[in-house]
Amino acid sequence: MMGDLARVLGLWRGRWPALAAAVLVSVGSALLGLALMGLAGRAVAGEVALAGGVALGGGILLLPWLRPVLLGRPAARWAERMATHGVAFRALADTRVWFFRRLSSRLPGGIGHGRAGDLLGRIVTDVEALDGLYLRAIVPIAAGGAVVVATAVVLGALAPGLAALAALPLAAALALPPLLAPAAARAAAAAAEAEGRLRDAVVDPLSGLEDTLGAGAEARALARVAAAGDALAAAQRALTRRNAAAGALGSLLAQGALLGALGYGLAGGQGALAGAVIGAFLALAAAEPFAALPRAGVALAAAGASARRLFAAADVAVPVPDPAQPALAPTGHAISIEGLCFAWAADRPPVFDGLDMEVPEGARVALLGPSGSGKSSLIALLTKLAAPQAGRILVGGVDLATLTADAARRTFAVLSQDARLFDDTIAANLRMAAPDADDPALFQALDRAGIGDLVRALPEGLATRCGEAGARFSGGQVRRIALARALVSTAPVLLLDEPAAGLDAAAEMAFLATLETAAAGRTVLLLQHRLVGPFRPSRVFRLAGGRALVGLG
Amino acid sequence: MFWLRPLWRRVALAATGGAWRRVAGWASRHVMDTALMDRPPAPAGVLSQTPKPIPPRAATRALLAEVTRAQRPGLLLAVGLGAAGMVTVLGQAVLTALLIAGLLGHGDVGWAAVAGIAALALLQAGLFIAQDRAQVAAGAAARAAMRARAFAALLAAGPADSRAIGEKASLVVDRVEALDGHVARWTPAAAMALIGPAMAIALAASVDPTSGLILGLCVLLVPVAMAVTGIGAAVASRRQFAALEALSGRFLDRMRGLATIVLFRREAAEATALAAAAADLRIRTMKVLRVAFLSSTALEALFAVALACLAWRHAALATGTHADPVAAILALVLVPAAFAPLRAFSAAYHERAAAEGAATALAPLVATPPDARLLLEEMPPSVVVTFDHVGLRHDPALPDALDDVSFRVMPGEVLVLMGPSGAGKSSILRLLMGFSAPTAGRIALNGREAAALRPAELRRLSAWVGQRAHIFRGTIAENILLARPEATAAEVAQAARDAGVSAFAADLPQGLDTMVGEAGHGLSGGQAQRVAIARAFLRDVPLLLLDEPTAHLDPVTEAAVLDSLRRLSVGRTTILATHSPAVAARFGRVLRLADGRVVDRSLRA
Repeated sequence: MMGDLARVLGLWRGRWPALAAAVLVSVGSALLGLALMGLAGRAVAGEVALAGGVALGGGILLLPWLRPVLLGRPAARWAERMATHGVAFRALADTRVWFFRRLSSRLPGGIGHGRAGDLLGRIVTDVEALDGLYLRAIVPIAAGGAVVVATAVVLGALAPGLAALAALPLAAALALPPLLAPAAARAAAAAAEAEGRLRDAVVDPLSGLEDTLGAGAEARALARVAAAGDALAAAQRALTRRNAAAGALGSLLAQGALLGALGYGLAGGQGALAGAVIGAFLALAAAEPFAALPRAGVALAAAGASARRLFAAADVAVPVPDPAQPALAPTGHAISIEGLCFAWAADRPPVFDGLDMEVPEGARVALLGPSGSGKSSLIALLTKLAAPQAGRILVGGVDLATLTADAARRTFAVLSQDARLFDDTIAANLRMAAPDADDPALFQALDRAGIGDLVRALPEGLATRCGEAGARFSGGQVRRIALARALVSTAPVLLLDEPAAGLDAAAEMAFLATLETAAAGRTVLLLQHRLVGPFRPSRVFRLAGGRALVGLG
Repeated sequence: MFWLRPLWRRVALAATGGAWRRVAGWASRHVMDTALMDRPPAPAGVLSQTPKPIPPRAATRALLAEVTRAQRPGLLLAVGLGAAGMVTVLGQAVLTALLIAGLLGHGDVGWAAVAGIAALALLQAGLFIAQDRAQVAAGAAARAAMRARAFAALLAAGPADSRAIGEKASLVVDRVEALDGHVARWTPAAAMALIGPAMAIALAASVDPTSGLILGLCVLLVPVAMAVTGIGAAVASRRQFAALEALSGRFLDRMRGLATIVLFRREAAEATALAAAAADLRIRTMKVLRVAFLSSTALEALFAVALACLAWRHAALATGTHADPVAAILALVLVPAAFAPLRAFSAAYHERAAAEGAATALAPLVATPPDARLLLEEMPPSVVVTFDHVGLRHDPALPDALDDVSFRVMPGEVLVLMGPSGAGKSSILRLLMGFSAPTAGRIALNGREAAALRPAELRRLSAWVGQRAHIFRGTIAENILLARPEATAAEVAQAARDAGVSAFAADLPQGLDTMVGEAGHGLSGGQAQRVAIARAFLRDVPLLLLDEPTAHLDPVTEAAVLDSLRRLSVGRTTILATHSPAVAARFGRVLRLADGRVVDRSLRA
């Protein structure tokens, strides 16, 4: 757990000076609070001072000293909280972005069977739980440490024995967080996992809402959510009970300090009185921050559990690492596939078993095969989402394995079967493929995809939001916008995987008829389960048994 | 910062004195009324036939009050335990004062007092733990009830609620969790903030009325200061939740399309956009906290003022001439005791602002009026579907989705709906699924008005297969079983055979018990469609609705799936939407649609 937390601190390296400065503000504020009660104690002890003849100074004389402390304390508290929270949120934003970057290099093919609902829970809930590491553990422990040292120093100057009696219980409370953390970590991990499961139980039936309702499975979905909710409540209960017990223990230790000071006064007689009274007031002042301190252990544990799960997701191996010394990007883009062998995993049947194929520059090639014959796998290999076990792919005469993923992907504009529209404007969706394209260029691509007129007719035109996965549009319209996105890209090779799926027959014909003009001299690799309509490829291959056979339509 | 302006005006009014009573009354109303759980229920406007729009703030408060009222026994127990804890705190204060006074030479209590303080500390710890358990249990019960309500409402709303899934999940999970701050933390803390200081003030007043007055005045100013700062926090909290939701939604959306982002090499740009969204969230959160922290700062200031005033009042202690040193020391020691419940309240206040934001989002969802439509009396053996001049318009600005559509489908018959995308095929099926209701004409099932039935009841008559079947997390058998949970294993196996699921399941490691769906074994599109057809077989209902069930399949798989569908349709009333002439050719009567209108009726495609 500590290793994960240390790694989180490492991620925040750029924020260290600001994080440390905020801790200092917090220490200052805690010491001001101590000073306030300590001075009140001295005012009371003033009586002892006069009676005992010890030169502590008259209590009433202290009031001018009290004034700046009185005013400063609330302001310091506010400044402390603003400073610590402000810098903590900056650090957390860094973590969030780091996680996204990491996943985009480690899971470039998308999260597939990974649990999207749980993943959302991970980034939002877990990243936020990390603030516990700084705000609820590091900051209070540092402030508490300062209070213990100050108490020991002040009382030590009066009487060393008293310092030990009052400061030791406080020091013990300070040691509680690391002691309580491991057990609390287990409870926190269980609670976070239960929340992930609850989110899955909610997301799953909502993702297939029509199937849920069509099958009348509402009661089952509700029961699952209720069961997951109960499991979460049970896990949270274990965590909050630990929290409450830790809080009670902390307040007992703070009261122990008070009793220590009073007991010292009782046992020590007249000479010990002044110190005992001041000690009692200091202990009263320490009660509030220290009662909350053992909870820092729970916060530490929760942050540790979150960190562990964040790193587990972020530490998946990079599927196709870039070569150490990448070759220069090719100038041409003729594709040559030689003896390609590929399986998704060692225990899965091979998808390709000696595939050979040539796609010259500017050619229009159709690759035909039923679903499951490897069309999507070929796209994954060409775009370096996966690497072949044997054989090689040459692009412009350069082996793909010697290129960076970025250079390889620059060659291709892909319309995959699972191409997704984002919950953003049409323009923003299209500019994913070409960030600098102007509006006329976007409309040109939309026209080629046969949806330009519809977009023009929308009240907000290109600024219309698409909704999640293009929910604002029909399936066919989503497909056309995704096609337009592939067309607006300036990449020299178009990879189209079932581009007409979901279009009606007339639209499919119209689209394939425009494909030749749409491609505008670029290489087109069309992956279809059958060849229909007016598209006239210059070459046709059929995928069968993991090889490509030269065929006729 | 616009909300600060009326705030400062209020403060200025308060300072001029004239409006003081108004501010105090307003503050106590705002801060304390939710703490008192026995307010009359909110007017039941939601139940009337034509629901009047409820102002969001009133709806929010009504929802929070309702949620709290349901947990009243548990919360009363928690407050009772809290009050008992406060008694131990006061007992400790008295003993501490006696002990210090004794040390200073006024009276002789000694070690007995130390033992008393220690015993009370132990008792206090026990009471604290018991109180925490009581309020945590109440909070959990309240969340479970609200979660079930919100999720049921989302399912009942169906596809008509077009919010993103991430947003809906955030409602059922995060928003409901945020309610805990109101039920388990804020409500007991608010009650204790009334009871605790009152007890401390009463004790102080009983030994020295002036000290009681000073403490009372300072404590009374706390809710005023907190309310003045709290309204801003509530407004900002709503905006913070909007930002949090936008961030969650954006992240899920981008993660779902991660492959697309990577293929277009936009990882870096998207990471930057995510950073901007996170920065926006930070700025909004800090706005909430700036004010929330201000309220606790006011508390600190009043605490210091109380302490200073009492020190000044009892300055005679310092010269050893005080008439009643025990009372003086007790008054000083009671300051932290009186302010402790207020500190807890202040900490919970922030949570309550978050809960209020959550309740505002949940209130419209769960305020759906009870459905007055009918239940299905019995399952008819067969269904005649009649569309009589049906029209459908989703949006006045858009053209009709359906216009004057009439047809009749008899049991055992297959009606094929053909037409280009957007012609209205899916709209007809969605009407029969109860996802929308006709805006003109009528739909009759066996001669009776379909609109009279509740949508869920209407769906009991039909089985539905869409373009891409959703496979739920679970085994294949569970996925089939959800269509009729009471079915036997033998019936599930039979449905799997009829739909051709057994054929591919036999090759899987655990057959029908293989885990599928997210995190399970991936099924191909054709396999998923077969599972959906097996659901329809098992469901065994008189009406079959098929929405382009083979649109995404290759020809070989398509032929096999169509064969299963033909077997399924025997003896049932079937409506099949397709744009493939080849599919239409295999079935019966064709109804051609274009732009929501019937353009051709023929026997064959």
